[in-house]
Amino acid sequence: MKSENRFDLPQGTLDLLILRVVALGPIHGYAISQRIQQMSREALQVQQGSLYPALHRLEYKKLLTAQWQPSETGREAKFYDLTAKGRAQLKAETENWKRLTDVVGLILKETLEGIS
Amino acid sequence: MSWLGRVFARKRLEVDLDKELRFHFESQVADKVRSGIPESEARRLTRLEFGGIDQVKEDCRESRGTLWLESIGQNVRYGVRQLLKSPGFSLIAIISLALGIGANTAIFSLLNAILLRPLPVQNPGELLLFGNGEAHGATLSVPDGNWNLFSRAFFHDFRQKDNSFSGIAAVDSSQFDTKASIAGAAYETTRVDLVSGSYFPVLGVPAVLGRTIDEADDGPDGSGPVAVASYAWFQRHFGGDPSALGKIIRIQSHDYTLVGVARPGFQGVTVGQSTDLFIPLSMEKAFSRLGGNSVGEKFFQSLDLIGRLKPGVTPAQAGAETNLLFKQIMRSYLGPQPSQKHLDDLAHASVELTPGGRGISPLRFEFSLPLKILMAIVALVLLMACANIANMLLARGVARTREVAVRMALGASRRRIVFQLLTESTLLAFIGAVAGVALAWKVSAMLLHMATPGPDPVALNLSPDLPVLAFTLGVTGLTSILFGTLPAFRAAGLELTPVLKEGRGTSSASTRGVMARSLIVGQVALSVLLLAVAGLFVRSLIHLYDVDTGFDPHDVLLFTLDSSTANLPKGADEIRSVRLQEQIEQSVQTIPGVQSDSFAMVTFNNGGWSDQVLFQGIPRTPANGEDVTFNITGNGFFSAMGIPLVEGRTFTAQDLPNSPKVAVINQTMARRFFPNRSPIGQRFGIGETPDHPGEIEVIGVVKDAKYFALDEGSQMAAYFPCAQNPGFFGNFILRYAPGANRQEMISRVRRSIGEINANILVNNVSSLHEQVDRSIATQSLIAKLSSFFGILAVFLACIGIYGLLSYSVARRTAELGIRLALGAQSFALRWLILRECILLLLLGLAIGIPVALSSTRILKTLLYQLSPLDPVSIASAIAAVTCMTLVAAWIPARRATRIDPTQALRTE
Repeated sequence: MKSENRFDLPQGTLDLLILRVVALGPIHGYAISQRIQQMSREALQVQQGSLYPALHRLEYKKLLTAQWQPSETGREAKFYDLTAKGRAQLKAETENWKRLTDVVGLILKETLEGIS
Repeated sequence: MSWLGRVFARKRLEVDLDKELRFHFESQVADKVRSGIPESEARRLTRLEFGGIDQVKEDCRESRGTLWLESIGQNVRYGVRQLLKSPGFSLIAIISLALGIGANTAIFSLLNAILLRPLPVQNPGELLLFGNGEAHGATLSVPDGNWNLFSRAFFHDFRQKDNSFSGIAAVDSSQFDTKASIAGAAYETTRVDLVSGSYFPVLGVPAVLGRTIDEADDGPDGSGPVAVASYAWFQRHFGGDPSALGKIIRIQSHDYTLVGVARPGFQGVTVGQSTDLFIPLSMEKAFSRLGGNSVGEKFFQSLDLIGRLKPGVTPAQAGAETNLLFKQIMRSYLGPQPSQKHLDDLAHASVELTPGGRGISPLRFEFSLPLKILMAIVALVLLMACANIANMLLARGVARTREVAVRMALGASRRRIVFQLLTESTLLAFIGAVAGVALAWKVSAMLLHMATPGPDPVALNLSPDLPVLAFTLGVTGLTSILFGTLPAFRAAGLELTPVLKEGRGTSSASTRGVMARSLIVGQVALSVLLLAVAGLFVRSLIHLYDVDTGFDPHDVLLFTLDSSTANLPKGADEIRSVRLQEQIEQSVQTIPGVQSDSFAMVTFNNGGWSDQVLFQGIPRTPANGEDVTFNITGNGFFSAMGIPLVEGRTFTAQDLPNSPKVAVINQTMARRFFPNRSPIGQRFGIGETPDHPGEIEVIGVVKDAKYFALDEGSQMAAYFPCAQNPGFFGNFILRYAPGANRQEMISRVRRSIGEINANILVNNVSSLHEQVDRSIATQSLIAKLSSFFGILAVFLACIGIYGLLSYSVARRTAELGIRLALGAQSFALRWLILRECILLLLLGLAIGIPVALSSTRILKTLLYQLSPLDPVSIASAIAAVTCMTLVAAWIPARRATRIDPTQALRTE
C-alpha cells in the first residue's frame, strides 16, 4: 500500500476537483478518477465510493449533465459535461479556494516560523 | 428530469447506475491487464479496491435526493412481508390499535358533533346567541341574573333600536314534538320550530325549493299559515317531489301551506334535535302549548335570539349596547309605577352574548365534562397500547438485530434502516386506524343511544366528517411515531461488528431492558389511575342506585298522551279537559290488574314548575325562601306513584273547582315552615309576595321524593289537584298488580283512551323504572365505559409484563439451567423472575398512586356522595393491578422452574 503519499481530501474539495476535470471536456467517471490521479501526480486516488455519489449529487444539482456515448474502448459510458451553472460554480469555487489557501498558508507560515 | 419523473424512471436509473459502475470496474481491470497482471488476479485486486459496490450504489441513490420516495413502495412491500411473517404480533398490535384509535375516534366524533361543529349556516363565526342557550320553555318572571329567554315584544323593540347587529333571528326555545298530518293522512309526530321572519335570512339559509319564511309571514297574529320543511323531512315524505309545494299540512288543529324546503343539512339551530317543519312566530297563538294562555304578553319570554354582528362591531361593543337596551326596554314594560322588587331584579339582570355559530345545545351542558374525561381516558388507553406495541417492537428489534446488521453491512444507511422500520410501524398504525374508524362509526352512534335512551332519539350526524378524519389521521401519525421511533432508532443505532461476531443479538438487550422496563412502569401507573377512575364512577353509580327515590318505581306504567289534535277548549272551558282526564282515569281503573291510576303534570325527571311560596304568619327564612317544586295531579297520584301519606289526607272527589283550594306538601316543606307543629290547615300563596296570599290550604303531608334527578338534595314540593288547576296534562301513570300482563294492560289502556276520545294520541309508553334508569343513563354509561377501558388498560399492562418476563426467561435459559444444575431450588428461581416484576410493580404504584390521588379531583362534580379520594376505589384499583400483574408474571416465573438443565445448557 502506498498510503504514505495519499491523504484525505477536505470536505467539499472533491466536487471542486470533479468540476475542474470535467471542465476540460466531456469525460466518464473512470477517466475522471484517472485524470485526478495523474494531475495530482499520484498523490490523490479518488475512491469509487466517493466519486460516484459526488457525480450523481452534482448531476442532481444540475451542475453537470450526463450522456451515454461510446468510449475509447467502444463500450458505452456515461460522459459528464459542465452546465452553465456548473461553469459559474467552478469559477466561484476556484476563487474561494485560492483565497482560502492563501489565507490559511499565511497563518500556517507564521506558526511554523514561531515553532522553529 | 422532474422530481416525479425520477421516481417513475427508477428502473432505468438503476440499470444506468449498474452499467456505469460496471464500466468503471471493467476499465480498471483492463488497465491492470495492460500493465501485465493476469486477468483473474486483476479482477480480484480491482474488487478489493472497489469495496462494496452495493454501498456505492446506495450512496449514489441517496445523493439523487429521491431515495425516500423511491423506497416507500419497497419499504411498504417489505413491511407487509414482515407483518405477515409474524401474524401473532401483527394481529395483537392491530387489534389493540384498532381499539385504541377506534375509541378515540368514537369519543371525538361525539365531542365534535356536540361541542365543536359549527352550524351549516353562512359565516357561523359572526353569530352571537343572547344568553347561554341553557334555558328552554317559557317564563313570566321579571328578569334577574343572567337572562336567556326573551319575549316577542322585546324582540321587536330591540330590533328597532340596536346598532350592533345586521339582523336578529328568533326561535321559540321549546322543542315542540307535536302532531302533523299531510293532506288529511294520519297524524304523525313532527318536530316544529316557531321562527321569526328574520330567521332564515339572518342565518343565511336559502330555500332549495320554493321560498323560506319571510317578514311578510311574521306580521300580526295568524297572518302566516305557512310552513317550510327541512330537507330530510321533505325527502322522507315526498321523496323530493317539487309538486308537494302548496300542499296543506295540518299541524295540531290548524292548516298550513307548505311553501318551501330549506337547504339540505340545515335542521334548525338546536344541536341534537332535527326540526321537521318551521312555521312563523305569528302563528304562536294557534299553537297549543303548556302555559299558552299567556302567549303575547310582554313578559311571556320564550324565545332564543341569535344576532349576526355588523362588520366592524366587536362582541364586547355589541354586549354593552345589548345590556343597555335590554334594561331600558324591560324597564318600560314594568309600567309607570313598578314595584321596588321588580326594579331590584332588573338592576341585577344582564344578557351575556355567547358565540352562536355552534348552535344551541342542551347536550353541551350535560356532556361537556363527561366527554372530556372520556376523551382523556381513551387517550391514556391508546398511550398504553402504544407502549405495548413499542415493547413488542423492541423485542422484535432485538430478534432482528442480525437482519439489520446484514443490511447495514451490505451498504444500507442508518437512515434507510430507520425509515424502513418506521414504515413498518406506520403501516401497522394505518391498518389499525382503518379498522378503528370503521369501529368508531358504529360505536359512537351506539354510545349516543346509550347516553340518551328514551323515546326521542337524539339526532346527531356522526358519520366521520373532515375534522374527525383529520383527528384520526393526526392520532394515527402520532401513535406510529410514539411506538415506532424508539425501537427503530434502537435497532439502527447498534454497533455492527460485535453483533455479527456474536451471531445472535444479545448486545443491545440491556438497553432494551431499561426502555422496556420504563414502559412497563408507566403502564402499571396508568392502569392504577384508570382503574381508580373506573372504581369511582362505579361506586358513584351504586350510590345512585341505592338512593331512596321516595316513590316505588316497580310495576308502574307511564303513558305520554298528546291532546294537541283534539282541539280541547282553552280558558273558561278548560275544566272540560279535567273531566276528560277523570273519564280516562275511571275507565282505566276498571281494567283488571290496575290498582290505581292518575294524570299528572310531571312524574319524575320530565320537567317541572317551581316558585317561592309564603305561609301566612310565617317569617321568610333562607331555608323556606327556596323555590318549591310544584306538580298538578289526579286523585290517585300518590297511590299510583307509591308515595306514602304521612299526615292528613290526599285529594278526593270533594276537592272541586269551586271548593277551597288545597295542596299536599312534602315533609321537607312541612319541616322548613313548621319545624315544631303540624302544617295541616295552614294556608299559603304562590310567589315571593303572593298575589293571592293564603289562598291554598294544606290538607296533607307526604314523604319526600326525588323530582328531577336522583342526585338532588332535599327539595320542598307541593301538589295541587287537577280539578282546581285545569289543563290537559300529558302524563298518565298506572300501578298494576305485580305479575300482571304488561302488554295486555297497555293495549287495553290504549283501547280505553281511544273509546273516550279518538283524538287523544298515545305518544309513548314506558315504565317508571325505565324513567328512573334513563335519568342516570349518562352516569351509567360513564361507569361502564371507564370500567371497560380500565380493564383493557390492566389487560394491556399484563400482556406487557408477561411479554417482558417471558423474553427475560427465554434469554436467560442457559443461566437458569446452570443454576438448576448447580442445585438452585425452584422457589429461588421463581423468586429471581418474580423479583423483577415486583420491583416494576412497586415503581409503577409509586408513580400511579400519587398521580391518581392528585388527578381524580376533576371528577368531583360527576360523583354522587363520594369523595374523589374514596379509599375503597383506590385500594381496589391497587389490589386489582397488583393481582393481575402477579398472575401475568407467575406464568413465565413457573416456566423458569421447569427448565430442563441438560437442554438449557445445550442452547446457545
